[in-house]
Amino acid sequence: MGFKIKKSILYIALIILGLTCLLPFMLMVVNATRSGAEISQSFTFIPGHNLQENWNRLFEYFNLFAGIRNSVIVAVPATLLGVYFPAMTAYGLAMYKFKGNNVIFGAILAFMMIPGQLSLIGFYQLCSTLHLVNSYIPLVIPAIAATGTVFFLRQYIIASVPTSLVEAARIDGANELYTFHRIIIPLVSPAMATMGIMGFIGNWNNYLLPMIILTKTDKFTLPVMMATLRAATDLASNQGATYLAVAISVIPILLVFCFFSRYIISSISAGAVKG
Amino acid sequence: MKMKKLLALALAGTMALSMAACGSSSESASSDSAASTDSSAESTEGGSGEKLVIWTLAKDLDAFGQYYQEKTGTEVETVVIEPADYPTKVQTAIMGGETEPDIIVGEPQMLQDMYDNGFFANLDELGAKDHEGEIVDYVWKVGQDADGIQRAISYQITPAGFYYRRDIAQEVFGTDDPTEIGKLFADYDTILDTAKTLKDAGYRIFASDSEVGYFSGDSAWVVDGKLNVNEARYDYMDLVVALYQNDLTAYANQWSTPWYQAMSGEVPILTAEIQNYEDDSVNVWDAESFAEATKDLEKTEVFAFGLPAWGVLTMRDNVGDTAGKWGVCSGPAYGFGGGTYIGISELSNRKELAWDFIQFVTLNEETADWWIEKSQGDTVSLIAALDKHKDDANEVYGGEQLYSFWLEQAKGIDYSKVTKYDQVINDAWGAAIGNIKTGTMSKEDALAGFYDTVESTYPDITVER
Repeated sequence: MGFKIKKSILYIALIILGLTCLLPFMLMVVNATRSGAEISQSFTFIPGHNLQENWNRLFEYFNLFAGIRNSVIVAVPATLLGVYFPAMTAYGLAMYKFKGNNVIFGAILAFMMIPGQLSLIGFYQLCSTLHLVNSYIPLVIPAIAATGTVFFLRQYIIASVPTSLVEAARIDGANELYTFHRIIIPLVSPAMATMGIMGFIGNWNNYLLPMIILTKTDKFTLPVMMATLRAATDLASNQGATYLAVAISVIPILLVFCFFSRYIISSISAGAVKG
Repeated sequence: MKMKKLLALALAGTMALSMAACGSSSESASSDSAASTDSSAESTEGGSGEKLVIWTLAKDLDAFGQYYQEKTGTEVETVVIEPADYPTKVQTAIMGGETEPDIIVGEPQMLQDMYDNGFFANLDELGAKDHEGEIVDYVWKVGQDADGIQRAISYQITPAGFYYRRDIAQEVFGTDDPTEIGKLFADYDTILDTAKTLKDAGYRIFASDSEVGYFSGDSAWVVDGKLNVNEARYDYMDLVVALYQNDLTAYANQWSTPWYQAMSGEVPILTAEIQNYEDDSVNVWDAESFAEATKDLEKTEVFAFGLPAWGVLTMRDNVGDTAGKWGVCSGPAYGFGGGTYIGISELSNRKELAWDFIQFVTLNEETADWWIEKSQGDTVSLIAALDKHKDDANEVYGGEQLYSFWLEQAKGIDYSKVTKYDQVINDAWGAAIGNIKTGTMSKEDALAGFYDTVESTYPDITVER
């Protein structure tokens, strides 16, 4: 009996917590169906009747699906590269003992401290000289140098991958790349999935760099496109359309989360050295 | 085992996908740059396949671009960029040596910096001098840099005026004539008297105490490198403090729900505490809970709003049943707010074409007619068009002939009083007034804070306290 009471209290607490997390999302979806005037005047969870109008207004400004496609073209490769190469680097830093290991790690730490916005004009000029303005390469390739991810994965590997495992693989004749792909990645995949989710959200929402680099409307990624809704003379009536755009743009993030979170859970128990 | 296969597959997919993605984007990038060099080559020849690239922060220009394309057959590519990031974007592109965009724009507060950095091409060399006098004078001046060289032109004018309720004017003052009502707003002391008269009659002069803001710039903030706080500034400060402390407004904040509601009729008189959010029992952003929480408060109707010419459109959309009962009159000083100024990028390869576009947008009477219709009442800057429409009666404003009114107001604007320091100094002055009116600071402390802010933001300005 006491157990049941405890359990129900726990469940109620969790339900409240869950609702608190969901309400802002609900509000976003509801607001996507209301007119700009309604949104600025009151707050409700009852859907309005302006979905069609908001949709039309939104597509008057731009093609949202083209934006989603552009964002996928940028965010998916950037995320995958931004997880795979840092994992490799982290593995090297954690497992191999060589001269300068600490220096390299120190340098990576130091680069973590520099905010990217500082070098914006310089980066633009570099891209301009290399004729990379208005292409996706400057948005995708630099994602390889994800210093934060390297740091995180290095600590994770040191803490959870025993050296003996790598030694065993080596004795059995696996080459280094094979060891990395077949032994290390499955072990580190929970951490990689975590960084992957964060990286994807970061790339998906990245605004400043695409805003600077991309100069053609048809190449704009989603955040850059959505920001242009603010350029109208009639801001208030665009609010519903903005909510609609945000609501639609969140869907891919949710999908990615569902996909990656499976790995986080399933891999926690996978693989270890016995005894 | 399954897991490993899946991962291997995912990784292979990664590599393939990223390579494909990079490949396609670099391909399209190179074809794009090829295309742009083609078109620039063509434009120097003046062929029919010309193309013009516009970067704008106002959606308006998209409509102008399409109209230009329709009329001339020149391909126009308009890129709309979020206003707050527009200066960053243009700055990086031009400092990076890009020859596109051809057309760049700016709002008055950004223009000085853009002139100083040399982003705008010299329009005088392209023949802007020939058109002097065709555009409302202050707009022409805003488009000139410190040396008097024409850099940008706007298609709009944005002089400020008071929008007032004709029926209330008739009842309280016995007349609704704009000239007569204008006398009630002739200077800061008169506004205070008007406010008291209206309060005695059961009305409020303004919904917020910020309505006089557009008319506060009667002298330059900086003269010969010295901060200039003249008597009128203090008078303005006293007026705002008096409006606030003597209960002469409805204590609404500009752009909040009750402020908009005041345009269409009765609103509750809020308290100073609600306006400052000290008393949060009333949610001023929610119409329903607002009506509920304020039903016991005394109700009033608001007499006037102070807004630039684009307020014509804002008011039209919000006046509801009071449409036709409004009038527009002049304020205590001439002022203006906003406006989009169009210029040519210094690095553009298609300056002739771009200049043709600017002429089309700003100096073409037929385009002005089209825009007045399309925007449903925006105020253009072309004098010929304003003259042509000077007898147009606007029914929302009791049939007042607004175009000739705005033209008169615009003539009074003295642009030499505008400096590039205005935005920051105005904000600091506004903050000082806010602190004095609510009593959080003494006048001396607030003024000292104002001087400190100006001194630390602009070390090159001499501040005499």
